[in-house]
Amino acid sequence: MTPKPHRVFLDRVSGYADEASAYMRRRRHIRRSFARSYHAGGRSTEHLADTESGAELFEAASELLELARER
Amino acid sequence: MATEAQSSSDPVSRALAFLGELSVDLEGAAIFDQDGALLGGTGENGQAWVEPARRLVAAAAGAEMGPVEQIHVATRDGEVFAVVQSGLTAVAVTDRFVLSSLITFDMRTVLRDLATQHFEAAAGDPATSAGKDEVDG
Repeated sequence: MTPKPHRVFLDRVSGYADEASAYMRRRRHIRRSFARSYHAGGRSTEHLADTESGAELFEAASELLELARER
Repeated sequence: MATEAQSSSDPVSRALAFLGELSVDLEGAAIFDQDGALLGGTGENGQAWVEPARRLVAAAAGAEMGPVEQIHVATRDGEVFAVVQSGLTAVAVTDRFVLSSLITFDMRTVLRDLATQHFEAAAGDPATSAGKDEVDG
C-alpha cells in the first residue's frame, strides 16, 4: 500500500533529525581540547598542550573556568 | 546570566550585561583596558580574573605571530574566549560547544561600542581612569 504523502514527509524529516543528533553525539564524543590564537594579518596558530604556550593557555583557561563557576 | 554588572549603570557594566543577553551560554566575562587593568567583570570576584587573563594573552602573544586578536581555548569543562579590539580586551567563559563565531562576533561588537565610549570619556576627563586596579606586567 502506498504510504500517505504526509507520512513520507514526516519520515524524511525525522530521518534528518536522527542524522543530526547522531552527528552531534559523535562530535561531543570525539572533540578534543584545543587552544588556538588568531593574530593580526589573519594568521592563526594551534598551541598543543605539550608546548609551553599551550600548557600556559590551558592552565589559564582552567583558572578562568573555575572563577566563572565560583559564583 | 545574573551578574552584579546588571545592577550598575556604567558603560562597562552595561556592556557586560548586554553581552550576557546576547550570549545565553556565557558563564562569565571581564573586560580589561590596554594596560591590562580590570574595567569590569561579572560576579563578585572580577579582580581574580586579572592574572589568569593576563597569562592567557601573554601565552598567545609568545607565539610571535604578531599582535593577538583572538584566543579560543576549548576544554572538557568549557570554553574560554579572549578578543582584543580597539585597545580593549574581553575574556569570556562559556559552556562547551558554543558557536564560537557568534560569541566572538558579540564580543567584538560590545568592545567596539565600549571603546568608543571609553576613549571619549578618557579624552574628556583625564581622571576617568583613576582608581582602577593595575595589573602587574
